[in-house]
Amino acid sequence: MNITRRHLMAGSAGLAGAALAGQHAEAQSRLNVGVVLIGPVGDFGWSHMHDQGRRRMAEVLGDRVNATTVESVAPPDFDRVVTQLVRTGHRLIFTTSFSYFAPTQRLAPQHPGVFFENATGPTTLPNMAIYNARFYEGRYIQGVIAARKSRSKTIGYVATFPVPEVISAINTVMRGAWSVDPSMKIRVVWVNAWSNPAREADAARALIDQGCDVLCSHTDGPAPLQLAEQRGVFGFGQASDMTRFAPRAHLTSSVNNWGDYYAERAKAVLDGTWRPTDTWGGLGSGMFRMAPFTNMTPEEISEATRIRDAIAAGTLHPFEGPITRQDGTVVIPAGRRLSDDEIRAQNYFYQGIDVAMP
Amino acid sequence: MKLVMEKRSETPISLMLISPMIAVALTMISAAIMFALLGKDPVAALQTYFLDPLSDSWGLQEVAVKATPLVLIAVGLAVCYRAKVWNIGAEGQFLFGAMAGGYVAIITHGSTQGPWLLPVMLLMGAMAGACFALIPALLRTRFGANEILTSLMLVYVAELLLDYLVRGPWRDPAGFNMPNSVMFEPEATLPLLMAGGRLNIGTPIMIAVVLGFMLLMGRTLKGFEIRLVGEAPRAARFAGFSETGLVITVFMISGALAGLAGVLEAAGTVKQLQPGISPGYGFTAIIVAFLGRLNPIGCLFAGIFIAITFIGGENAQIMLRLPLDATRVLQGLLLFFVLVCDSLLLYRFRLLRGAAA
Repeated sequence: MNITRRHLMAGSAGLAGAALAGQHAEAQSRLNVGVVLIGPVGDFGWSHMHDQGRRRMAEVLGDRVNATTVESVAPPDFDRVVTQLVRTGHRLIFTTSFSYFAPTQRLAPQHPGVFFENATGPTTLPNMAIYNARFYEGRYIQGVIAARKSRSKTIGYVATFPVPEVISAINTVMRGAWSVDPSMKIRVVWVNAWSNPAREADAARALIDQGCDVLCSHTDGPAPLQLAEQRGVFGFGQASDMTRFAPRAHLTSSVNNWGDYYAERAKAVLDGTWRPTDTWGGLGSGMFRMAPFTNMTPEEISEATRIRDAIAAGTLHPFEGPITRQDGTVVIPAGRRLSDDEIRAQNYFYQGIDVAMP
Repeated sequence: MKLVMEKRSETPISLMLISPMIAVALTMISAAIMFALLGKDPVAALQTYFLDPLSDSWGLQEVAVKATPLVLIAVGLAVCYRAKVWNIGAEGQFLFGAMAGGYVAIITHGSTQGPWLLPVMLLMGAMAGACFALIPALLRTRFGANEILTSLMLVYVAELLLDYLVRGPWRDPAGFNMPNSVMFEPEATLPLLMAGGRLNIGTPIMIAVVLGFMLLMGRTLKGFEIRLVGEAPRAARFAGFSETGLVITVFMISGALAGLAGVLEAAGTVKQLQPGISPGYGFTAIIVAFLGRLNPIGCLFAGIFIAITFIGGENAQIMLRLPLDATRVLQGLLLFFVLVCDSLLLYRFRLLRGAAA
């Protein structure tokens, strides 16, 4: 095993050396940027919007950057793809999934001359920044709208993995819904995939069959919303404006905007001012926005608009106390709100959410 | 005058060897046309696809790492298919091997073990794959159930079991609730062989298996029996070979190799258990087996070739900005041309004169 270790170290040192040499040669010319996507560019959701972000960055910085996307990279292939990006002179690499957090954290120290950025991991390293958007703000608005639209008083949630990000999103939908009607309920189906249209549609079908008449989804594509359209219930889009996939069912979408961030970060590398930051932008900073409200009455639209503007301005906060866990313990009393770290560490459902933690 | 296809009474050996090469050549030509239509220089694109992965030590090691599971599974499948036994469930046997070997790594996690650990993992993986393959074999020999359907459906059983295990009992407690196991301890992972790459002992094991099966199929009575049952079942019965016994044997052989590939992949490249541990190796290996003419050494070359297209496809995305779909089209074309060329083996074209017709 000793031999193995030494070989491993020698190998990574060699690669690091190559990366540094590459950095030198590239210093005067363009910056090569790599974007690694968990799904296909054509998912019309999460991965699509990261690719849009890459395009936006190229628009802003013109010929100062050269940007490449690698799509549908399964976690077992991740090491090879990233190593190949490094070997071909990419000095800024965005790894755009929580599933890539652990592998990025493992690879970053092996390539000290390269800057890594992971969406949506929890911790940074000297050459690894993290970035995310406050999607919960959009979730709160979805909750409010859902409570207005639902007749069965039951929201369906097509969830991905029970990671804190997703759990906190489900919690926020419910806080939004309860702010309108405390009798609102939610049902959740875990599809255990970020992008799997067939399973997403099955999950949506099951939720509708159980009486849910407004669907939220956490997966990358429009499949659950399309099913809502077919079955004549309402739904929300996620990541991109999904109005066109469900003209009669669509209420609003959270529309991600990574491009400005990507441009800013690439510029920081070019200027030599890159730092391993922890960025968590929201409606206020424009990291995402709400798509136009559709299929809603003028009163509903004005209420949703008011809440959206209040969140963006910071006057309304979705995690205002009191908050109680499912098991009855108090998370935070009235008059206080959750800190960013506490929001990110939510691995519990709120009291009133009748869903078992898987 | 018309062109007719006529069944050959005998297939010349030379044609059997040339046919896959014609298929590869036709694929390359179609690929070149596709790249040109996409506005890329076809020569540069083909170079990125097929030559760049082989241009340095790192690339070669990656090709070997990617080819290893494909070849291992394909060699086992080739034995099965030679006997005209259709095991379509190698993907499930692969996952079972990964689970059994991974189980050993997980229960010993956090404690120091001796050098026995890795061999035990590999053995467990191979045995689990073989046992899982025994199910469709017995269903066929006992109840006459179609093994294509049963082995295929058992893939879902294996996938869901793995899914359950890594979300439930085997989930990493410090893994942010993501469905994966703990990372294996270094001694439960495959030793690396060379600096500057990920080549591990899986590849020499694979090559040993290829050589072993060349001997088995070509030089032993068992190999003769397998070929005979596939090609002339009546003659095999007269010779006293038991079909039941053979179905079970070939299923267990291919299951064991798929299981071995699974545990090698889990301990070699992924180093943990997770639902996405196989990007469809068990199914891709079916293509590899046929592309390799159901011959162990042929499977080796076919596996390497398919591995190159995978890695070349990633290179094409990185270097040429070609979409992933271009790679998928390329692989589809390859399979298509292999099947087309195979029809040349079994049939020949003949021009019939008007009078004769």
